[in-house]
Amino acid sequence: MLKFAPYLLKTLWRHRARTMLTVSGSAVALFVFCFVGSVQHGLDSLTSQSESTLIVFQANKFCPATSHLPQDYDQIISKIDGVRDIVPIQVFTNNCRASLDVVVFYGVPAAKVRTIRDFTLVEGSWSEFENSQDAGIVGETVARRRNLKLGTKFSVGDVKVTVAGIFKSSNKSEEDYVYTHLDFLQRTPGMDLVGTVTQHEVILDSSVDPNAIARKIDDRFRGGPVETDTRTKGVFQASSLADLVELIELSHYLGYACVGLMTMLISTTTFMAVQDRIKEHAVLQTLGFSGYLVFGLVLAESVLISVGGGVVGTGLAMLTLAGSGLSVGAEAVTIAFTPSVKLAMASLTGSLAVGIAAGLFPSIAAAQSNIVDGLRQA
Amino acid sequence: MLIEIRNLTKTFQKGDEIITPLRNVDLDIDEREFVSLMGPSGTGKSTLLNQIAGIDKPTSGTITVNGTEVTRLSRTRLAKWRAANVGYIFQTHNLIPVLTAYENVELPLLLLPFSRAERQRRVQIALEAVELLDRASHYPRQLSGGQEQRVGIARAIVTDPTIVVADEPTGDLDSTTSALILELLQRLNSQLGTTLLMVTHDTDAAMVAGRQLRLDDGRLIADSATRLTEKKDESRSA
Ligand SMILES: Nc1ncnc2c1ncn2[C@@H]1O[C@H](COP(=O)(O)OP(=O)(O)O)[C@@H](O)[C@H]1O
Ligand SMILES: [Mg+2]
Repeated sequence: MLKFAPYLLKTLWRHRARTMLTVSGSAVALFVFCFVGSVQHGLDSLTSQSESTLIVFQANKFCPATSHLPQDYDQIISKIDGVRDIVPIQVFTNNCRASLDVVVFYGVPAAKVRTIRDFTLVEGSWSEFENSQDAGIVGETVARRRNLKLGTKFSVGDVKVTVAGIFKSSNKSEEDYVYTHLDFLQRTPGMDLVGTVTQHEVILDSSVDPNAIARKIDDRFRGGPVETDTRTKGVFQASSLADLVELIELSHYLGYACVGLMTMLISTTTFMAVQDRIKEHAVLQTLGFSGYLVFGLVLAESVLISVGGGVVGTGLAMLTLAGSGLSVGAEAVTIAFTPSVKLAMASLTGSLAVGIAAGLFPSIAAAQSNIVDGLRQA
Repeated sequence: MLIEIRNLTKTFQKGDEIITPLRNVDLDIDEREFVSLMGPSGTGKSTLLNQIAGIDKPTSGTITVNGTEVTRLSRTRLAKWRAANVGYIFQTHNLIPVLTAYENVELPLLLLPFSRAERQRRVQIALEAVELLDRASHYPRQLSGGQEQRVGIARAIVTDPTIVVADEPTGDLDSTTSALILELLQRLNSQLGTTLLMVTHDTDAAMVAGRQLRLDDGRLIADSATRLTEKKDESRSA
């Protein structure tokens, strides 16, 4: 087949405008495919990361507002082998559903925030936060969105907080949260929460099996006083994102639709190329080219165009994704658009498959065409 | 005998009308023969040529070339047979426009088990035979009509085929160029021993061949009645 490479490449070059347009169209399609795929990938990495952190939630509850666990469960859980640390957390949110403006309060024992998170304060001070009951530190994203400054008092529902600091985190999704004192949030007027928390965050030794510990915790509290449902942080986040996951899956179909469109585009181009060269293919067959060889040559044309578009589109998408750091947020979790080698490989493999699928029918048509009729064409 | 054609019939259906350009044709062609085929336009000369070249199948009858009954070969085997045994010279050269003269001539060799060096040797010999070695790197659009036709002839002889067929090879050329092409064909036949079957409607052109045939109303008539084996009327009606 390599012997025919000059013929193939010169043929594509002869119709370079058409070739370039089709390659560009394919590149756009695969660019979109990679973008959509990267959101899916970000979601996947959310659910797989945080393996060594468990979230203990009340069994059969889904919104933070309805989960109530005894705070002193922390004493029992901390004695389990493999548990390095445990933090009782009260969560308060203004909206349980997926939304673009969700404010999430995390009530945590004030001194613990510094140890369990990697926050850097860009404004304010830790001592101010730790020494003042109604103080809160807010992530940069919330601060920007709600225009919060140091010392601002702001309230969501009955919760009134004074901004004592603004923080940055290596985990961008954390910057969507407000951290307050645990007991402050528990004493919110109208909510009788003293002694209970929404969840416990359990930090494990890296060597242990998180699922085994999760089972151990749930078994310990089976039958009361309050049953628990313990999952890794990743799985927990994925289930709280359920609504958004559906949207992401929908957009995934749009990615596939783009690939379908690309198939038709390349198919059209290849059909045109075949129709332009009915006589040429008849001449080749007269010289002794078999139907299989003509089939292979036309298919190779289609595959070259498709993979060419794949390389360009995938390359541009990966560069853009790596450079822009886009993300989409909802409720308590943020999903980052994540480029990856795996995604790039999937996209390139896809372009190869598209080339074959699109070229199949034109190739068969060319291979089976009648030689004498072809020669009689003007 | 190199080529034996027996009882060859070809019919076409055009709407309700059935056309029979070849009716029980018998023909023998010997090795190293140069045969011309004349006749009015639309009588079936190309159709007969195409049966012999193996790019079309007869309705009935057989063609045997060098012991191979080509009319029985499958489409793929027939392609393979053509690559090794047939050189086809078209009325319009039908060169591949994106390929140079050299690449055009090399094309049929790519189908046969030749090394790169052997291919190069053969292309050079073929281009030399048509006196176009100096135009090897030219594209068809950079050549004159006569030069294009000579490249087409080089492409037809480069594999050293069993038979070369030519369908009105001078039909598109002026008289001076035609004479040149005819002389070239005659030289290929006499010097290289190429077996040639040429369709033409030009009597002068036909005269360069060693034997002249005429096709009329589906039947072959010998112009110079050497070895024509026409069916007797009795056997046809039987
Ligand atoms: N594929 C075809 N379908 C229908 N009729 C055809 C076909 N090919 C040739 N014919 C008819 O067969 C006859 C002989 O054609 P052809 O062999 O091309 O004639 P010639 O080469 O002698 O001019 C013509 O009447 C032509 O119209
Ligand atoms: Mg004809």
